[in-house]
Amino acid sequence: MAERLVELQNICKSFGNTQVLDDLNLYIRENEFLTLLGPSGCGKTTILRILGGFESPDSGHVMFHNKDITNLPPHSRELNTVFQKYALFPHMTIAENIAFGLKIKKKSESYIKDKISYALKLVNLDGFENRYPDSLSGGQQQRIAIARAIVNEPKMLLLDEPLGALDLKLRQDMQYELIRLKNELGITFLYVTHDQEEALTMSDTIVVMNQGYIQQIGTPKDIYDEPQNAFVADFIGDSNIIPGIMIHDKLVKILDANFDCVDTGFGENKPVDVVIRPEDVDLVEPEKGIITGTVTDVLFKGVHYEMCVMARDFEWIVQSTDSFPVDSKVGIWVDPFNIQIMHKPESEDEKAAVIDL
Amino acid sequence: MKKSAWAGKLYLILVLIFLYAPIFTLIVLSFNDSKSRSHWDGFTLDWYISLFSNEYIMNAFWNTILIALVSSIVATLVGTAASIGMYRMKLPMKRLMMGVTNIPMLNADIVTGISLMLLFIACRMTMGFASVLIAHITFNIPYVIISVLPRFASLDKSQFEAALDLGATPVVAFRKIVLPDLMPGIIAGFLMSFTMSLDDFIITHFTKGPGVDTLSTKIYAELKKGINPEIYALSTILFAFVLLMLFLINMKNSDRTSRRRGPKNWAFLRKATAGISIGLFLCLSLTSCASSYDYDDENTLFVYNWGEYLDPTIIEDFTEETGIEVIYDEYETNEVMYPKIISGAAQYDLVCPSDYMIEKMISEDLLLPLDKSKLPNLKNIDPAYLKMSESFDPGNKYSLPHTFGTVGILYNKSMVDPEDSFDTWSILWDEKYKDDILMQDSVRDAMMVALKLLGYSMNTTDPNELREAQQLLMKQKPLVQAYVVDQVRDKMIGNEAAIGVIYSGEAIYTQEENPDLEYVIPKEGTNFWLDSWVILKGTKHEENAHKFLNFLMEPEMGWRNFDYITYSTPNIGGRALIEEEEIRNSEIAFPHLEDYYGLETYSYMGDDYERQMNRLWREVKSF
Repeated sequence: MAERLVELQNICKSFGNTQVLDDLNLYIRENEFLTLLGPSGCGKTTILRILGGFESPDSGHVMFHNKDITNLPPHSRELNTVFQKYALFPHMTIAENIAFGLKIKKKSESYIKDKISYALKLVNLDGFENRYPDSLSGGQQQRIAIARAIVNEPKMLLLDEPLGALDLKLRQDMQYELIRLKNELGITFLYVTHDQEEALTMSDTIVVMNQGYIQQIGTPKDIYDEPQNAFVADFIGDSNIIPGIMIHDKLVKILDANFDCVDTGFGENKPVDVVIRPEDVDLVEPEKGIITGTVTDVLFKGVHYEMCVMARDFEWIVQSTDSFPVDSKVGIWVDPFNIQIMHKPESEDEKAAVIDL
Repeated sequence: MKKSAWAGKLYLILVLIFLYAPIFTLIVLSFNDSKSRSHWDGFTLDWYISLFSNEYIMNAFWNTILIALVSSIVATLVGTAASIGMYRMKLPMKRLMMGVTNIPMLNADIVTGISLMLLFIACRMTMGFASVLIAHITFNIPYVIISVLPRFASLDKSQFEAALDLGATPVVAFRKIVLPDLMPGIIAGFLMSFTMSLDDFIITHFTKGPGVDTLSTKIYAELKKGINPEIYALSTILFAFVLLMLFLINMKNSDRTSRRRGPKNWAFLRKATAGISIGLFLCLSLTSCASSYDYDDENTLFVYNWGEYLDPTIIEDFTEETGIEVIYDEYETNEVMYPKIISGAAQYDLVCPSDYMIEKMISEDLLLPLDKSKLPNLKNIDPAYLKMSESFDPGNKYSLPHTFGTVGILYNKSMVDPEDSFDTWSILWDEKYKDDILMQDSVRDAMMVALKLLGYSMNTTDPNELREAQQLLMKQKPLVQAYVVDQVRDKMIGNEAAIGVIYSGEAIYTQEENPDLEYVIPKEGTNFWLDSWVILKGTKHEENAHKFLNFLMEPEMGWRNFDYITYSTPNIGGRALIEEEEIRNSEIAFPHLEDYYGLETYSYMGDDYERQMNRLWREVKSF
């Protein structure tokens, strides 16, 4: 495993009476693409701003290469930020925008010139040197903002919802672009987004946050397949989250029916939350299902159909390549392997997080 | 359709004429090779040339530029800083601050001016260059805020953070990123406050002190002696300048619509900034000279006199001879001078009020008795005038006559019937001269004419007599072409009227300009007036004041001043030096007082009397 580049230790931050971060600990490894994922107001942008030096924590420390940089002003930090609204300087040309940081560092003319053309090539915007920002499209401005940041060769790039203002197609293109850039540059990316798809596509590690608390840290696959609580499960993709009772290891009772599962160690007769992804619900003939229900709604989504099935007073979301007509009786069956058991939220904050959804 | 388009154009043209005709007239007249306003004698630049060689006007000009430049630069700095502070405030506070800073802008100038004056007095600050400068800075700041603050709305805070992020210190980030964004607003604010300062008359008028004049106050002071074509030229230049400033402001504003600006533009800005800084430096060094009048300086004398009432070379000679620096200031009427003295807004040693005002000032114990042992030249003053002075200054204790004169009738020989006799006020009631008569637009002068014609004293308090005089004036009103003050002179020179009531001092000047004019003192009697020097009680330069008065009474000075202002001098020695015999023996300039019947000086009658007179006069004017 690579060395830890940045470490946030016991960070607390509040604005007025609102506590945004409470004793937060997080580390980022070198060359990692780490994404802070969560709904707005979850504190992810505050973390980014504390790292960038635009906010200082009420308590706690920010370590960079094991050095305390908590009180270092933004201009002295070896990292650069790509702002949500690009923040290009409107009265400067593209070349002047990119050269801004280098000029401040008193680099030579020829060095700056080389860097500009290198950076523009890297973001596929050759020949834009003398244009002004307002003559560029949103996607182009975004790339210039990235070019402007990376010419300074930061150890780490902070990206604050950089694709938020772009349309869907452009956003998908830019996702690949960012992965490519990260691989070519070989630097650490800290990416902030509320878009779970973006997070799943690009990240090495995802940190799911809510209400200032880290809910889960893991690879995209971990997060998707094994959400540790209802919040994560619901926030990442669609889920059927159903309260249940763990009867004993590998057997859970949901909606008064017993389902086999593979989870162990939850104790006996303990209330739990059960997560079943919509694509993991198999619709079968009524007599073959564990429980039966009625199809209430069918939507064609391109690659699959999305159906709502009412079974034992719970509305199941089901994704399948086969469709069943509305009002038809179906059986529901789930592979034990696809049943994810989660602890019920214990703390008040966790509860709040769930209610807030 | 066509018809309405045509009407629309006509309407537009009418509006434009309405707006610009006055200024156009002024500009045309500034190139007119004649002092008259009524006819065109060909194109000339003489007025501009004489304007630029007029030391006093040029002085005022540089003062104006200096005050405008320094005040707008300081206001721009303060206003921009204030805007930054206000931008960062929370909304309710921000709203409050915006309101608070907007109010002075909407406030009437006269209120601002008087408040500032009162504040300066309360702070025991002597009025002078500094007080005007502070006043201008004060009223300029809101204009800067109002043009800078809206720029913040379009300001992206993350741009500033982006600059920090890229390694710029907060100062550099502000200068390179925020400032360029604010710049159009800052420049607009600067130009706006520069223009406002250039324009201002009222606030300057109330806050200025001895020896400090801006163009507007100078122009106003010059009006005392009638509007001179030099002033047209000056006003034209001022107008052109303001026009240029507005043009620049608008150019900046239209720039605002496009976010994109070429690098060249910014090179210009950098140069402009450099230029402004150099200007600021120059100004500050100049300021230190300009504001060096110090009332506590022993070697000075602060004189407050009527406009155009003393030959400036006399002052220069006095300074050369004695080493005493004279700070010389002018007023337009007794009523302007009096409040300045009484409020303590400005400290003076010597003032030259009129008879009735001296009477009032004596009664209020504002004057210092003259030390006649220090005035040996008093022997040059004609005792006849000293005797006349006794009517308001018994024993000649406080005052020393400077000039005197009569009020009489000026008529144009080429425009009247030679059979008529003009040595009577009754000619002003002659139907034959309907619309050819000019009356003085001043309550006491107008009432004096009527009272004298009726055979009453002009200082009468008898309500019946006053009412009778008023009735007479009402009867005269249909015949009168205009009630004016200084324009009597110009209109008579320009053959615009046949008969006018005028001061004798003006009469001599008008005769030089138009030989057809003749001045007579009516047989029913008239106002004999004296303007005399008095020393103010609080003076710190009593010795210098006596030296100055003694110097003025030298025959040569009496003569030179008469030559310069054409108002009669009481100086016998000076009169003897006049070369032209017809002037030396002129009945207009030097009437034999004993030959005339009913000469009277105005007495101070008190406020109630003034109110009553003003009411009578209003009734005449609105009749």
